[in-house]
Amino acid sequence: MDPRIEEVDRSGAGGPSPDYEVALVSLNQWQLAWRRFKKHRLALIGACIFLGMVALAVFGPFFLPYDPTFVPPPDSLFCPGSTTQLAYSGCPPLTPGHLLGTTGSLRLDLLTLVVNGARVSLIIGLGASIFSAIIGTIVGGVAGYFGGLLDNVLMRIVDIMLSIPILFVIIICAEVFGNGDWKVILIVFAIFGWQGIARLVRSLFLTLRTEVFVDAARAVGVSDIRIIFRHILPNAISPIIVSTTLSVAGVIIGEAFVSFIGYGVNPSLTPTWGNELTAAQDFIAQGNWWWPLFPGLAIVLTVLGINFMGDGLRDALDPRSRE
Amino acid sequence: MLKYIVRRSLQAIPVLFGITVVCFMLMHLQPGNPADRFAQNPKITQAQISAFKHRWGLDEPLPVQYCMWLGVCGDKGVLNALPGGQANIAGVSIGLPGGDNGVIHGDFGFSIFDGQPVTTIIANRALPTIILALTAYAIWITIAFLAGVYAAVKRYGKFDSTLTIFNYVGYSLPTFWLGLMLIAFLSVPPLKIFPASGMWDARTVPIFGTGQYWAFVGANPLTALTDLARHLALPVLTLVLVSVAGDSRFIRSSMLDALNQDYVKTARAKGLSERRVVFRHALRNALLPVITNVGLEIPFLFSGAIATETIFSWPGMGRQFVESVGHNDYTVLMGILLITSVIVVFANLFADIMYAVVDPRVKYD
Repeated sequence: MDPRIEEVDRSGAGGPSPDYEVALVSLNQWQLAWRRFKKHRLALIGACIFLGMVALAVFGPFFLPYDPTFVPPPDSLFCPGSTTQLAYSGCPPLTPGHLLGTTGSLRLDLLTLVVNGARVSLIIGLGASIFSAIIGTIVGGVAGYFGGLLDNVLMRIVDIMLSIPILFVIIICAEVFGNGDWKVILIVFAIFGWQGIARLVRSLFLTLRTEVFVDAARAVGVSDIRIIFRHILPNAISPIIVSTTLSVAGVIIGEAFVSFIGYGVNPSLTPTWGNELTAAQDFIAQGNWWWPLFPGLAIVLTVLGINFMGDGLRDALDPRSRE
Repeated sequence: MLKYIVRRSLQAIPVLFGITVVCFMLMHLQPGNPADRFAQNPKITQAQISAFKHRWGLDEPLPVQYCMWLGVCGDKGVLNALPGGQANIAGVSIGLPGGDNGVIHGDFGFSIFDGQPVTTIIANRALPTIILALTAYAIWITIAFLAGVYAAVKRYGKFDSTLTIFNYVGYSLPTFWLGLMLIAFLSVPPLKIFPASGMWDARTVPIFGTGQYWAFVGANPLTALTDLARHLALPVLTLVLVSVAGDSRFIRSSMLDALNQDYVKTARAKGLSERRVVFRHALRNALLPVITNVGLEIPFLFSGAIATETIFSWPGMGRQFVESVGHNDYTVLMGILLITSVIVVFANLFADIMYAVVDPRVKYD
């Protein structure tokens, strides 16, 4: 059904009780958004890719015969079924028993690495983005709602953090505090990733706080905190969701790079898509292209899916922002 | 106008100040302090260690140490620096209080790793970064501009759809992985076309930046230039592929905005040729946001090339940063961090002022 017809129905329904109407409207907004999202073909493809990756990360390891940290004993000099390819340089894809081939040196199974790497890479991407969205919403909301000196101080802090190349700071903090622990890396990315959202939320709150419903809430004595989180925030949630979705992609790439250069997650503790690539560089010269290819391809696919999804969400949640 | 520029410049001062505070705090995240190196030495007494700490102000409270590091509270500061003046980049006193030491005098102290002045290290690494960044930038902004404008003019055409797909993919590529793949397929047999790493061929060309290098460049400029170009090829290609994606998208939407304006409709209604409408009316207005964006991108040429420089062992500032993290060489880290942040602040300032200059519609108050 055309979404507009429903809106007409609702307004023409006469005088339902106020409670009922509020519930209906909020339900409808999400239904309308979902309807628009479904029409966005790229967004659906993106959501499928992303959810597929999540499913792979959650269930994949149970179906694979190898453990990601298990180093096979050196049973033969050459790859199975080959008399020229040295096992030390890694076996190419489609080798019996190794669909995506093996890495050089330790001869780990690449499929196992990619599937297990998905777990921590996705957890860091999602976790850090959600954490920084929460920090950014609180900071931006408080700054935008109260304004004045508090706003000025908070926004200058945001200015400062946006001026410093944040990747440099993340690398330093990951190296100093990290010890290769993925939980610390997640927190570091969360702490240094909230500035963009804080700015966005502040600008939304600056316009929303002058709305009549805010005055009404204040007039009946609702507390500031409640106005911020229960009255204004639901009206600002769409851009926050879109921006958080897109930032997952950025964090996944950032984590991969920090782990790749060796200051992020420790590869012998937890495989991630980034740290699986670290040693691959040394084997490229020996013709091993599949080792760097597959973990990176997993990153590209995931990030592509998230970007498709983010664009679809933007169109669905905020139709006015369409080109 | 002048008032706007002055006010905008004054606004940058607290940000610059805040950056130094953040850098100083980061420096103190590092475990230990410069006196720790004597802890294992049996010949050094406790009294000598405290004398050392006193000499360099390490026994002072943190705010005082910060003030000394900044260079406004006497000349014994700069954690880990040698006696006053030695690290001064300009080599002259510029009349600021606090002697010759300190960050505001251009003195970032000495590397903990190899004892060189931080300013010397950064100066050596700046030129390779500039060469790489500017070459890549010139190429990608040209491509992005042509592609973005053409896609906007022929909206929803074949080229536009292709560019959209390319942009999605390019935007999703991790720079460092793209570099790895280019090495794996273009600098390893069977397609061994370009060198995989470094900035010069050590067999034929002397070390970059030395006197011999410049003498070599003077003697056979063609050899030096081809060698440099061969080594530039892959890092530049990496940066271009990744950056064209974001920029052409931006230029396309800016051009579309301009094409939808009323004055374009007016121009068409007057019967002007399509070429004249596009180039004279739309393009000039589409350039406004592009100019500011260009200004904002320049600092990220310095920090953004970090992944590319790491993958291709390009001896620039990004690679120096990654190496210094490994050495815990925090004086160098802070120097690089501080300099890149200051460049960002000035580029933002420059972009804002440029925008006000080129667009007469911007109000200055």
